Amino acid sequence: MKRRKVLFIQFSQLRLLAKKFAIVILFLSAFVLMLINKTDTVVIEKTSSVATDIVSPLIDVLVAPARAMAGVFDYFRDLGHIYSDNQKLREENKRLQIISDKSRALEIENKLLSKLLNYTPPPKATFITARVIAEEGDAFSHSIIAYTGGEGNVKKGQVVMSDNGVIGRVDKPGKRYAKIILITDINSKIPVMVERTRIRGILSGDNTSVPKMIFIPLSAKLSVGDRIITSGVAGVFPPGLPIGKVSSIEKNNVKVKTFGNLDRLEYVKIIDYGLNQDVLTLQEDNALQQKDAANE
Amino acid sequence: MNEEWSENLASYFQRMLPLLCSLVMLFFSYIPLDLPISNHIRPSVGVICAYFWLLHRPDVFNLLSVYILGLVEDIISSVPMGTNIFTLLIMYLLVINLSRFFNAKPFVIIWYGFALFSLVTFLSKWLLVSVYYSHFLPLPSVMFSYLLTTAVYPILSVINVFVQNRLMTDEE
Repeated sequence: MKRRKVLFIQFSQLRLLAKKFAIVILFLSAFVLMLINKTDTVVIEKTSSVATDIVSPLIDVLVAPARAMAGVFDYFRDLGHIYSDNQKLREENKRLQIISDKSRALEIENKLLSKLLNYTPPPKATFITARVIAEEGDAFSHSIIAYTGGEGNVKKGQVVMSDNGVIGRVDKPGKRYAKIILITDINSKIPVMVERTRIRGILSGDNTSVPKMIFIPLSAKLSVGDRIITSGVAGVFPPGLPIGKVSSIEKNNVKVKTFGNLDRLEYVKIIDYGLNQDVLTLQEDNALQQKDAANE
Repeated sequence: MNEEWSENLASYFQRMLPLLCSLVMLFFSYIPLDLPISNHIRPSVGVICAYFWLLHRPDVFNLLSVYILGLVEDIISSVPMGTNIFTLLIMYLLVINLSRFFNAKPFVIIWYGFALFSLVTFLSKWLLVSVYYSHFLPLPSVMFSYLLTTAVYPILSVINVFVQNRLMTDEE
């Protein structure tokens, strides 16, 4: 009985102590979480993906009524533009018909020449269309969460595009939801080149709406309006994907306005070019190398 | 027995209401909006809810609630894990130690208090994330987010006051 009493007193003292230092413990836990996150371990990656899968359906449920309300508003807003939109679409259709004929002829010519040169074509791309359920955009990060379905074929590093161009890459793929880092985010670094001059650089996000192009040769001649496309260096993004155009040049600061409208992302395409199977974290890479060494 | 059980459940739910209300508002703040600025500047709903509930109902919105709110925000957001927890804990420290200056004061004074405390939390978050990335984030965007958060505070306060007055019964 006496021993139990002593134990109880010790336990209550511990509780008091924990209560007293709770704020310190929680601050420390936040720091530890940040440090673990910095090491980019597989455990954190997987835990984060699972957590995203748990939290995202809750946002998805809340999005449904909000989207329905926005849909009604959009419907009435669009009604007023029906006539002018129809005229524009007719004009565009005529123009696209001509381009389509030209591109068909070029495609046949390309196939014949490729055959002559014994050219090995890149693997065919497959894609899924994902619905955006959450978006985050402030000074600290730019990302979206998209519903990818239950197929589980979304992998880290896959290219994400809107109708007009590249908008980001898959960062944390879950079973049903995937977190996508936008090209304006500070973590986004994409090898790019200027379409006209083939000058290479890196498109680096800085959490503003216009990412900047860095690591450009000093002698490079750039002008406002130049189209920026992916260069394909590093093998994560295939070459030639449209990204944006140069919007301003000030000394070494080249800003790029993205083609994809990052403010209005309702659906996005997650594209598998079959290029990023080798996108591994350092730990995964080490584990793979050790496994290979053991097999040898 | 059954009645007692349901009473306990109702009481538990009442105690959870500030956290649940804050989480729902947090989820709403991530809904995609068809607005030109929504993808660049958004109010920090977590900071608003933490300040409101810590000031008005610290008995039911405690340190653990602050931690959970920060953790959920970290999961949704793509900032480094732990950043939002850290930010909300700073808000907790500020409110718990300085709330005596704002308690039972007119709304404008409470709003000024929020403007002051959220400035400290925003700047500490900016510093923390900048150190994490070894790169200073654009301060103007942080200030715009801060101003928007301060401007939105009265609107979210109305919702929180509604929850406090209509849905929560005072147990004291």
